[in-house]
Order: sequence, then C-alpha cells, then structure tokens
Amino acid sequence: MSFSLPRRSITRFSLSMVALSLTAIVLAGCAGEPSAGGDSATPVAGGTLTYASGDAEPTCLDPHVGGNYPQALVGTQFVESLVSENAKGQIIPWLATKWTHGSDGLSWTFSLKPNVKFTDGTPFDAAAVKANVEHIQDPATGSSTGYLALAKVKSVTVEDPHTVTFQLSSPDSALLESLTQPWLAMESPTALKRAQAVNCQTPVGTGPFMVKDWKKQDSITLVRNPHYTSPPADAKHSGKAYLNEIVWRFIPDSASRYAALQAGEVDVIDNAQPDTIVAAKKTKALTELNAPRPGASNRIELNSGKAPFNDEKVREAFVKSADVNAGIKSLFFGTAKRSYSALSSVEKLGYSQPSLFSYDPTAANTLLDQAGWTQRDSSGYRVKDGVRLSVVFPVSTNQSIPAEQSLFQQIQATAKKTGFDVQLEPMDLSSWYTALAKDQYNAVSAPYTKVGPDVLRILYDSAGITPAPSGYFANLSQLNDPQLDTLLTQASATTDATTRADLYTKAQKIILGGYYILPLYDQQNHYLLRTNVVGLRALPSVSTPTFYDAWLRR
Amino acid sequence: MTRPSITEVVCYAVILFLVVCAVAPWMLAPGDPLAIDPSAAFQPPSFSHLFGTDESGRDLYTRVVYGAAPSLLIGVAATAIGIALAVVLGTAAGLGPRWLDFGTSRLLEVLFALPGLLLALLFIVVYGPGIATSTIAVGLATAPGYARIIRSQMRAVSTAPYVEAAVVLGRGGWQRFSRTIMPNVGASLFVLVTLGVGQSIVWASSLSYLGLGAKPPTAEWGALLAAGRTYISSFWWLTFFPGLFIVLSAAAATVLGRSWQNRGRRA
Amino acid sequence: MTFAAVHTAGADLDSASRPGGRALRWLITRLAGCLFVLVAAATITFFALRLIPGDPAQAVLGGPGSQASEAALNHAREEYGLNQPLIVQYLLQLGRYATGDLGTSYSLHEPVATVIGQQLGNTLILAITSLAAAWLFALLLAMWSARGGRIGTAIGSGLEIVAAAVPHFWLATVLILLFSSTLGWLPAVNVPGPIGLVLPTITLAVPLAGFLGQVMRESLLDATASPFVQSVRARGESELGVLWRHTLRHAALPAISLSAWALGSLISGAVVVETIFARPGIGRTLLAAVSDRDVPLVSGIVLVVALVYVLMTVLADVMDRLADPRLRVTRR
Repeated sequence: MSFSLPRRSITRFSLSMVALSLTAIVLAGCAGEPSAGGDSATPVAGGTLTYASGDAEPTCLDPHVGGNYPQALVGTQFVESLVSENAKGQIIPWLATKWTHGSDGLSWTFSLKPNVKFTDGTPFDAAAVKANVEHIQDPATGSSTGYLALAKVKSVTVEDPHTVTFQLSSPDSALLESLTQPWLAMESPTALKRAQAVNCQTPVGTGPFMVKDWKKQDSITLVRNPHYTSPPADAKHSGKAYLNEIVWRFIPDSASRYAALQAGEVDVIDNAQPDTIVAAKKTKALTELNAPRPGASNRIELNSGKAPFNDEKVREAFVKSADVNAGIKSLFFGTAKRSYSALSSVEKLGYSQPSLFSYDPTAANTLLDQAGWTQRDSSGYRVKDGVRLSVVFPVSTNQSIPAEQSLFQQIQATAKKTGFDVQLEPMDLSSWYTALAKDQYNAVSAPYTKVGPDVLRILYDSAGITPAPSGYFANLSQLNDPQLDTLLTQASATTDATTRADLYTKAQKIILGGYYILPLYDQQNHYLLRTNVVGLRALPSVSTPTFYDAWLRR
Repeated sequence: MTRPSITEVVCYAVILFLVVCAVAPWMLAPGDPLAIDPSAAFQPPSFSHLFGTDESGRDLYTRVVYGAAPSLLIGVAATAIGIALAVVLGTAAGLGPRWLDFGTSRLLEVLFALPGLLLALLFIVVYGPGIATSTIAVGLATAPGYARIIRSQMRAVSTAPYVEAAVVLGRGGWQRFSRTIMPNVGASLFVLVTLGVGQSIVWASSLSYLGLGAKPPTAEWGALLAAGRTYISSFWWLTFFPGLFIVLSAAAATVLGRSWQNRGRRA
Repeated sequence: MTFAAVHTAGADLDSASRPGGRALRWLITRLAGCLFVLVAAATITFFALRLIPGDPAQAVLGGPGSQASEAALNHAREEYGLNQPLIVQYLLQLGRYATGDLGTSYSLHEPVATVIGQQLGNTLILAITSLAAAWLFALLLAMWSARGGRIGTAIGSGLEIVAAAVPHFWLATVLILLFSSTLGWLPAVNVPGPIGLVLPTITLAVPLAGFLGQVMRESLLDATASPFVQSVRARGESELGVLWRHTLRHAALPAISLSAWALGSLISGAVVVETIFARPGIGRTLLAAVSDRDVPLVSGIVLVVALVYVLMTVLADVMDRLADPRLRVTRR
C-alpha cells in the first residue's frame, strides 16, 4: 500500500481495518466451513501471492501449443476466452458480449467487447480473433486440444472491427462450450507473429495479469495488468486485479507441497492429497476449494476390442467384481464422491445409473460361468481353453495419485476372488502412451478434460478408435456401436437444447449399459489455500482458479 | 575357531530371522499379505495388528514378512550381478596385459561417469518395471564401483611378495590365481558384498519412489516405504516398519562381514 | 586387503621414472584418457537411448499423447535429422559435440547448453556442499567415537551403518516434517539463499557420511595397528593426538579418492532430492528428460556430468601425487 496520509489518519485507518478484519474473521468462523469465495471485508490491493502447482511444468506457456491442464491453470491468469460459463452451466459473455447463430447452424456471429487491449497495446478486435483461430489451426503451431475443438471451423470472417463470424463445415453444438476453454484463448496477433520459442516464453493476452518472467524449473512471475477492462460476466468486481504479483511455482512432491503451504512459504496449492485435505480442514489457517474438472469422470475403461472384454458378460462380471465404494471411502477420507456416470458431476447433461454398478460377486461368478470361464487354475484364476482370465492394466504413475493406485490394488484384490488376474503395471507417462498405442491393455484409466458433453463423442464414437499418426487414440474402450455414433453425431449437430440433452442421455445409457466403463469419481481437483487468501474462485468452465477477485488479508 | 561375540550372535539371529521370512514366511506370519479390508484401514499398531494396517487394511506385519523375499532377492541378486560383472572387468584389468588394463580402466571410468540412476532408469524404461528389471538395473548401476575396487585389489595382490614367491616356486597361472590371488581378493570382496546388499535394497526403494519398482501388490520393502511416505505425517507406522527392516538387513550384513574380516585380520 | 591398498593401487600406474618429463607425460596420458571417456560416454548414451521404444519425433511434439499430425511429425523429423541412418546421426552428433554444440532439447525447445548452463550450477553447489558436509559428519563421528573407546566405536559404527541404509526420499520427508512442519526452523521447499540449502544438503550428506565413515573406519583400524603408530603411542602420545596427527591422514586418503566417485553418486541422489525440495538442478532436469524421451537433453547432461567427473578425477589424482610421496616412485 502506498498512500501517504497524516499519522493520526493512518492510525485511525489501521484501527478500523483491524476492527473490520476481526469482524470478518469472527463472521467467517461463525459461518461454519469457510468458503474461499465469501467474505464481507473490503478487498485490499497489493501483495504477492505464491501458488505451488503439483502438475508438471508446462513446456510452453502459450496454451495454443499442445494444450494441457498445467497450461490452463497458469493461462487462466493472463489470457481470456471469448465466452465463459457460470455456476449454473449457462454460457456468459467475456471477451464477446453477444452471439447468434445462423438457422442452419453453419455460422456463428460474435459481437466483441469494445475498448479491450492486449497488454502489449494491440487492440482486441475481430482481426485478432481471426488471427488466433488461424494460429490454432496452423499445423506448425502444434496445437492438439484447441485444434480438435475447432475441427468444424472452416474459416473466420471479419464483419467489422467488433463483429466476427465463424463459418462451420457442419453444425457444432459444442462450439460455445469449447470457446470457454483457455486453450482457445485470445492472444495478441502482434505477439503471435514472433518466433514460437519467444511466444512460449512470454505470451501476451488481455487477462488481469501478465507474464513478466519465466525461470524454468523455478517459477513464473505474473504481474498485475494495469489496464485491465474485461472480466467475465460472473466476476465479483471490475477494474484491475487486487494482487500486485503472483509467483507460480512447481513443487512435484505432494508431501513437500503441503509442508510448504503449512509453513506459509506458499499461499495456494493444487493437487491436494486426500489425507492433507482432511488435515487442512481441521486447522484454522487453511481452507479448501473443491472444483472437479469438467469432461469425463475418472473411470476404468475396458478394452472391448479384444479378449476377454470383447464379451459383454465378462465386462459386466468385472464391473460387479470390483468393490469400489469401500475403497473410495477408506482411501479418500470423504473427499471424493462415487460417480456412476461417464461425465463429471459439473456437466449438467451427465446421466447416472447407480444400479448398474453395485458390488455383486455372486452375479459376477454366474456371468463368468455363463460366458464359458468355468475352470480355475491352481492359483485360483479362471481359465478357458487354456487361457487365463488376465486383465492387463497399465497405470500411469504421473496421472494416478497414490490413493488411486491403492484403489486399483483393492479392485485387483476383489476381482481376484471371482477369478480375474488383474496385472497392474505402473509406468511413466511416455511408456504408458506407448502401451496404449500398441493395444497392450485390457483396462486403463485415462482422464479427459473438456468442457461440455461433446467429450462423449471424442471418447466413445467409433471414429475415436482410429489412431492419430502418433499412435494415440481417445476411444480406449474401443466402443464400436453405430447406433451410438448416430446419436453422438446428431447431438453434436443439433442446436436445440432439449433435443441435445435427450440425445446425450440416450448415448450415455448405451455406454453405461454396455458395461464398457467402470466410473469411479470425478476428476479430483482440490485446492488448498491459506485463509488469508480471500476471493479465490474456480472458473465454472474449466475449474481452474482465477486470482482476479483474490486478495490477501493482512 | 574362536567363540562368536555377542554382536555376532545377534547378527546371526537377525539373519536367520530374515532368511525364514524369505523362504517360509507363513511360519512367522500366518495371514495373507494381500487380504484387503478397507474398513480396517490405517489402524495403528495393536495386538491384532502388530505393525498396524496399511491404506487398504492389509496387515503390515504380514506384508513386511512376506516382503523379505523380494527385497532380499533384489539386494542379494543385484549385488551378485554387480560383483560378477565387476570380477570379470576387474580381473581383466587387474591381471591382464597393460593394454587391457588401460582399456578396461577407461571403460570403468566411463561407467563411473554415467550417473548410476540414469543407467537404472534407462534400463527400466526400455524393459519395463518389475522385480527382475529392478534387480538388473541396480546391479548395472552398482557394478562400476565394485569393479574399480576389485581391479585395484587384483593389481595390488598380483604384485605382492607371496605371489612372486608362487612364481618362483613354479606354480602355474591358474594355480596362482586360485590359490593365492583369489582368496586374498575374496576377503575384501566379502566386505563389499555385505555393504552392497544394503545399498542395493536402498537403491531399489528409490526406484519404487520414482514409480519404477516392483509391480503392485508385491510387498517389497522399498515399495512399502515409498507408498507409506505419502501418509508419513499422519500414519508413521507405514514407513517405520519397512524402513526398520531395511536398516536391519543392511546392518546385519555389514556387521557380519566386518567381523569376519576382523577374524581374518587377527588370524 | 583394505581400502588403503585400494587407494595406493587405484592410482594411475602409467608413470615412468624421471621427474618433470615424467609428470608431463603422465598428465598428457591422463587427459587423453579423459577424452576417450567422454567419447565413449557419448557413444554409449547415444545407442542406449535409441533402444527406448517410441518415435523420437513425437518427443519433439510433446510426447505420444499429443495428437500431432503426420505433417508436423515429418517436419520434426526433417528438422532434427531423424530420417538419416543411425550411424550418420551418430557421427554428426559427435561432430557437433566436438564443436561444442550440444543440440536443441526436444521438450524444452531451447539449446541444451542453455538449459544445462542454467541448472548445472545449482546441482554442483548442492553436491559440493553435501560432500563437504558428509566429510564433516564422518570425521566428527570418527573422532567422537574414537574418544569413546569400545562403546564409542560400537555406537559410531552403528550410526554409520544406519545412516548408509537410509534412502534419500524418506530422509528428506522426515527432515521436512521435523524441521519445517513441526519445529518451523527451516523452509520446507527451496528458497533462494543458503538457508534453502540446509535440508537438501543434510539429506544427501547423511547416507554418504555413513558410507565414508565405514570406509575410513576400515583404514583407521589398519593404520592404528601399523608399526609406526605403535611407536608413536610408545612415545606417550595421547589417543586423540595419535588420531589427529598420524592415522587420520592415512585413513583419509582412500576416502579422498572415493570422493570423486561420491560426487557422481551425489548426482544420482540429487535427482530425488531436487524433486522433493523443488530445487532447480540437473538431476530433476535429467529425470524429466528421460521421462519425455528428450534424447539431446539426456545426452547433453550425461556428457557434461561425465566431463565434471573426469576433471574431478584428474584433480584428485594430482592432489594424490602431491600429497602422497609413495605414489611418486616407480611402480613395478
């Protein structure tokens, strides 16, 4: 704080601030579980906040390049999207104020917010939007997430400086949802013209903060954008951000990350482990922000493309052999809720069917007998025609937290009783992708984060079985059902909300009913913060934290 | 043969206990190391669960006892691989002609210069995780150290007076090697082996921490230690008991080796 | 046979028998050996990395999980020369190394030399501090336990064994729990300045001190039993005086020659320690590089670490020769 009042006023001011703070603290304490967002005290400008991420450090800060969650986390602070989503799931204005679509659904016209500038002075206008879309669609950029999301965008027309039209090759009901994501955020066209290595280091956006410096393997320094004018429609204030600076660190070890939070060396951490969440809630100094990721739930996909899971009875038997609830209860200490849906609980169009997923070893045994796996070998595993009932299950240690790996071990143990030989294979990320690309798996748990139910098309349309040149394919359950394909294509094309919801429900019934997946829980996304950090909220779209409304209580 | 000291007796007892754990674990722990019981997770040590239970309700004492076999296997086998490689290289360098010595010494220096963990990592990345690959990886990583020492021993011993005496007495090359050189080198080799077993187990546990160790649900001590570390601030027993057994094994082996060496020295 | 013999026999045996010219010939032979080591290290790494399954072009574009197009993959192959036969790639790489060009990292898209330059210093500081601390611990323990007689020796020995059996990742977490979470004396993760170095150093130093201590104890036992020490004792010198003035120097010699090796093993330890304490350094970079299949970065790091190692070895040998007159005479 840098004002210069006469001494008496300062004392009086300080006293009143103290009184106000004490009142706020008392109120917050009385209100039960302190929420990160609600506080009645007046925000105070200034201060440096330190954020420690447990995710891998991005290799490029430009979210157009590649497109993963670590980039989204930090990108939320300095780049902004055309639209956002509010807590009710409605699309709200951000850099675009209004939007309409043509009756055939092949064009979308956006009116852009006036008087918005990138932090390098370049004006944000229709030409900038066009330049961004072209950057994402350019193969040289190497975008994957953004590229896929804009797959149906044929071209972008500049109508006037504040109006831009997207021309589509076929109707896309997911376009708005895709546009809420940071991987399709708007960057300065001037900055995009620089070499990619430079733009990866210091990308330029319109956000409440801007990238000042990036010391690799150490931290990213973000400073307040003094000319900020474009908060999303559900922000809590307008004008500049409160914080002076954010230091964005990377602490891969979860125990150290939590210790640093406790010690006050960092103010906010992500990827909090279940036992630390429970411990943190018990202390007055720490609090939790729970924001499950959108897109798919955390689920185990069963490879229906080859034996033994090409037989639906065997899939159903496996699902009924897994005692998931007991495991979740003991391993996650109540921080994770069981999911019975293919979609995250934050997706409004998610469909759940708990009755399909109960632990029923008797039924499982009957099903396996019916499927012909009647004999058992000396170790107790079932055999048929000399082949053991093996389930190869590669586990990515980068993506599965220890509690989840323990859950898999528990599933392995309960499935053994009905005769499944589950072989868990922990491996690093690259080896894991390689194993998947070579179809060397029977079960796998692969998270997929995307805003909107269109993720079902990516994961369960039969087109998703065809691998990309890198060998990667998204439809890991290798679900190949023409009826499902039709439903998903129709849902992607329709612009009517009711029809869309209905189509997606039908699609999910097929996915769940065929026992292609075993849903576990939402993609866990818990943030722990010190209670002096006030006003932190997660964007309802991608569930990344935004520090725009956040301030530090002294 | 002099009477064994108290320390030696204790060491023998510990080693016997560990060997029984490894070959006949059911005798010391009647339960099933893989039997989960989620409702009984994270129980502290008590009469029903001597070492407490882990995150899936499995009895930790049973798991630690059954873990002796894979852990000691890694420790002993990795050391054996390391020493075997080292003997071959060291002998070539120590007893061969000058040029072979030069070449092999340089090769050893190269292996030294490559960080051991990198060798282990690369091996596991190429051949996949598991006990077998962990063992070979750790053996590869620790071999250069032993090789260097063996080479020096070979060199020193081969120029020692009693070997010269053997030459003068007309003993053939093989006889010289087996009767005079090897026994003398063998004594210090033993110290290396005993030191090495503990080191190998610790190496393997570091690989488990990096996610590259034994496949679940194997109860290998290093894997138990790495898994338990997540919960170390709330549930101390998950790391304490596996760690204790690692230290016990390393200590027993080292102390025993040291005392045998001392006997040799005194004799 | 003991570690003392290791030390004397372990020194290079290629010296001739005239001063001056002898020293020069020795140095030149030594440096030629170093060059061989570097080339061999680069070769082994090159071919070892090619064994890893997977397409290197994918590593350039963010790994197999990225949905890179065929065009982008081909572009990457062209840019990094991945289409040429293996032997050509190998020779080109050697040529580049000879001119000091370490290539461009696949995952970080920066020159490898820049990346290493930024990170190597941190790790070297950590390694050297840890080595010094390990020495300090080992010496203090040796002196303390010698004063304590048989009990002291037993306790000291026991402590060394336990210390050597402690894994880094476990010790790091226990130290953080104790000194940061419970006592609040030290920071949990890396902060700039020497205070951020304390816990990582202790973590690396303790197991090494255990190992060094055991080695020194060996040679101490040998040295104390040797004739000249007996005579010193007979002259009435105190136990501590014997220890400090005579035996310790001899006991320390094998540990000195092991220090060059210790520095190499500290790099391995640094991988875990840098991850847990979130310290920037070459260990963490190496782990990420292997995980990302970043061939140029792994090769570059290996080469630089090998270079540091051989330089340290030469330095250690030079110091040996200066310190120990026995090594200066002709060998058989």
